[in-house]
Amino acid sequence: MDYILTTNELTKTYGKYNAANEVSIHVQRGGIYGLIGRNGAGKTTLMKMIGGLSRPSSGSFEIHGRNGETTEQMMPKVGILIEAPGLYPNMTAFQNLKTKAIALGIKDDNYLRGLLSEVGLSDTGKKKAKQFSLGMKQRLGIAMALVNQPELLILDEPINGLDPQGIAEMRSILHHLCEDRGITILISSHILDELSKVATQYGIIHEGKLLEEESKEELFSKCCERLELRTNDIAKTLEVLNMMGFSKLEVKDDAINIYERLNEGGAITIALARENIQTNEIAVKTEALEDYYFQITGGSKND
Amino acid sequence: MINLIKMNLYRMSRAVSTWVMAIVIAVFGFMQFGSLKMFLDDPFNLFDGSGSSSLGFKTLDGVQSVSTFLQNSNILLILAIFVVLFVNAEHKAGFDKNIIGITKNRWKQTLARWISAVIGMTCLILIGYAIMLGLCALFIDNFAFGAVAPMLKSLGLMYLGAVAFSAIFFFFTTLFNSSVGGVVASLIISLGILNLIEMLLDMLVKKFISNPKVLPTDIFYDSVYFSFNHESAGAKAIMIFVLISVAYIVLTVGGSMILQQRRDVK
Repeated sequence: MDYILTTNELTKTYGKYNAANEVSIHVQRGGIYGLIGRNGAGKTTLMKMIGGLSRPSSGSFEIHGRNGETTEQMMPKVGILIEAPGLYPNMTAFQNLKTKAIALGIKDDNYLRGLLSEVGLSDTGKKKAKQFSLGMKQRLGIAMALVNQPELLILDEPINGLDPQGIAEMRSILHHLCEDRGITILISSHILDELSKVATQYGIIHEGKLLEEESKEELFSKCCERLELRTNDIAKTLEVLNMMGFSKLEVKDDAINIYERLNEGGAITIALARENIQTNEIAVKTEALEDYYFQITGGSKND
Repeated sequence: MINLIKMNLYRMSRAVSTWVMAIVIAVFGFMQFGSLKMFLDDPFNLFDGSGSSSLGFKTLDGVQSVSTFLQNSNILLILAIFVVLFVNAEHKAGFDKNIIGITKNRWKQTLARWISAVIGMTCLILIGYAIMLGLCALFIDNFAFGAVAPMLKSLGLMYLGAVAFSAIFFFFTTLFNSSVGGVVASLIISLGILNLIEMLLDMLVKKFISNPKVLPTDIFYDSVYFSFNHESAGAKAIMIFVLISVAYIVLTVGGSMILQQRRDVK
């Protein structure tokens, strides 16, 4: 497997609190790695360490297979947008890009204009960054992260606070950067549905620990369809289902979840009626990514 | 490093605060000229003919103009505020996040920021001084430029002192990561509040130690900068002043560099 980034038990400790606790992620080159976790789960802490903004308390990470001191040589190939974009409010979009470009010794103004065009900000002219909408600021933040032509782009909650159109624009930019420019993206979000539309790999982080790391296919296979059945007598219902040959099932609260032969809802209802069991509800349901996330982290939607 | 300095100068030239401070210092230069002219000419005997004697000179030359301009608490305050605003702008905007990760040695960013701040301060001093000097040359009858060498010597020493003074605020602003910390520190020192604190501490500490001069509040502004008479100072006094100024610059800027190198970006 070709990994552009791997972390090895990366840990960040503040006093006695482990903001990131021995996190080991493996980011495949050319994909979009979605880091899922609620606020305070450790996503930003992890990204800051990888982006060179904070020092790990222990552990290490490799970029392009380089670790330790040699990792620093690869940092110019990493672009970051962590939390709010770092912009000078009284400067225009171009001037903000120009400021970073000067620091990097880049003199080609046309290259910078190209970046603005790429994120849809080519017509902002003399408008100052402080007058930008949140979506525009986020897109300018991405352009800033692209100035040094990164191979790995780290984006922390880039869709946070955006309206639906802003989210769609951001999705389009991410697809373009990944597919057309071959940039690997590590993106975090707690908006799981949105993340599921762009990411090809997932890491679920909770209370500083990485709980799961899986591909899109693996994750989606776990978020599978099921037949949810509610009756007036669960014990008798299980006997009937057993007689009918159902084995992939589980009892959850007052419902029985059946994970096979989902088109046999009618037959189940008839069989239950013959045994004088009342069917209160039977429906095909799909477990959402969100449900899976709560199942993994042991939380609930109201947490 | 050169690129980082260029970057800082680029953003400095586009910051509103830079131009506001340039206007403030231009006005300050004009006001300095006005007060000088009023005292020296005193055409209406506003000061009972004693204006020039209260200044200590009846004719104005280059050295005296430097003294009047640079050995003034107001200009030190203006320069300190300029440094505080310039340094804090990067933290406040969060712009440092864009470049810290890709800069191998973070301390270089702090050094580049300091060098840029000094360049900015120099420009401000030159603007204010040029306005005051130009107006003096044009409108003060008793003005004679005099020898260049003593004026440059005086200018150099006062400039070094002003830079060292600003270095303290550079450190405070880097330490607190906020303009509030830097400005409060600058006001405490520049408005003489420190002297009051020092008096109180002196009263307390004298009970325990015999030499209250070791107090940390006995710092640059009143004990070094204003007590140094550059016009009549001998070689030894000049050497001590230069050494103390350089020590302040090295300690504060070096301290800021270490802070930047070790500290995580928030």
